[in-house]
Amino acid sequence: MNERVDKDMGGLAATLDFDAELMLRVKDGDGASFTILLEKHRLPVIHFLYRMVQNQAVAEELAQEVFLRVYRSRGSYEPTAKFTTWLFRIATHLALNSLRDGKHRRLEEHLDDDSSETPVRQVSDQRPTVEQRMLHQSRLEEIRRAVATLPEKQRAAVLMHKYDEMEYSQIAKVLNCSESAIKSLLFRAYETLRARLAHMA
Amino acid sequence: MNCPLEAGNEGVLLDYAAGKLNADARAQMDRHMESCSACNQFAGAQAAVWQALDNWEPAEVSMDFDRRLYARIEQDVSWWTRLMRPLNPLFRHSVPIAATAGVVIMAGLLLNRPAAVPVAPVPQSAQVEALQPDQLQSALDDMEMLRQFNQLVPDSAAPKM
Repeated sequence: MNERVDKDMGGLAATLDFDAELMLRVKDGDGASFTILLEKHRLPVIHFLYRMVQNQAVAEELAQEVFLRVYRSRGSYEPTAKFTTWLFRIATHLALNSLRDGKHRRLEEHLDDDSSETPVRQVSDQRPTVEQRMLHQSRLEEIRRAVATLPEKQRAAVLMHKYDEMEYSQIAKVLNCSESAIKSLLFRAYETLRARLAHMA
Repeated sequence: MNCPLEAGNEGVLLDYAAGKLNADARAQMDRHMESCSACNQFAGAQAAVWQALDNWEPAEVSMDFDRRLYARIEQDVSWWTRLMRPLNPLFRHSVPIAATAGVVIMAGLLLNRPAAVPVAPVPQSAQVEALQPDQLQSALDDMEMLRQFNQLVPDSAAPKM
């Protein structure tokens, strides 16, 4: 397998990640490798989609579609980039389409949502009081709204940069932009978020 | 160190607030922060954003996520593959055997093919004219009439042959 990967990747062999190797095994009919990939990337993909569309049911449905597309594409898969770049490109594409298709419907659902799906975070080793919980929920809602107001590409870039710790170059590949464009995009996004969230310090 | 804000290199400040700078770069920024209030303010606000985003925990994933996904993958497999799947173990062993047997039988038939024998023409059946009962009766009547006529005619009148 490694020889094959080296041959396929050429000069990129040094940067080949284990995930791409697993995907090549899936291509060869190894279902167990797909299970490993799913196990590893399930949560990052679902969490990214959840923060993008801000609806858990929609996020899970989109994540199903992401992994289904990965599986369907196994036959034509070529490791020309990092596996996560490819994976998040699919996820971002589906999320953006979903936002454009059902923007108003989901926004209404979100505004009616009482945020009961979000687990209450324990801020100390003692039980939070009702006031603390309400304050926490209020802050979470503020964060969610601040992120939701970002333009879609800015939102995707911030989420990949913050939660998936991607480099600028990888975010650029996912969003099909230049690296300098991504830096500019992120700077504008964080500028908006600073204006809305800096008081939380 | 040049001020990142003045140099248009805000990315350094973002990385600084995110704790992504290496030790040397971080030490340089720490020293710069001591004398640059603009960068200090920027980094403080960015750190607050970072901290706020840290508090945003996603919801838990459904327990049956994998089961639903594999069900969809199963549905995605073509109907022909699904139809033939139970027979796969059978085919895996029997197809080579059946193919070999077929070749042997065909070869045997070709090698032992009998020589062509001319086919005898089918003889035409004899055409027998069937007499009807009334025709038979008419013939007998004619013979009887001739016999009686011969008796009436004298032998002298008989023509000399």
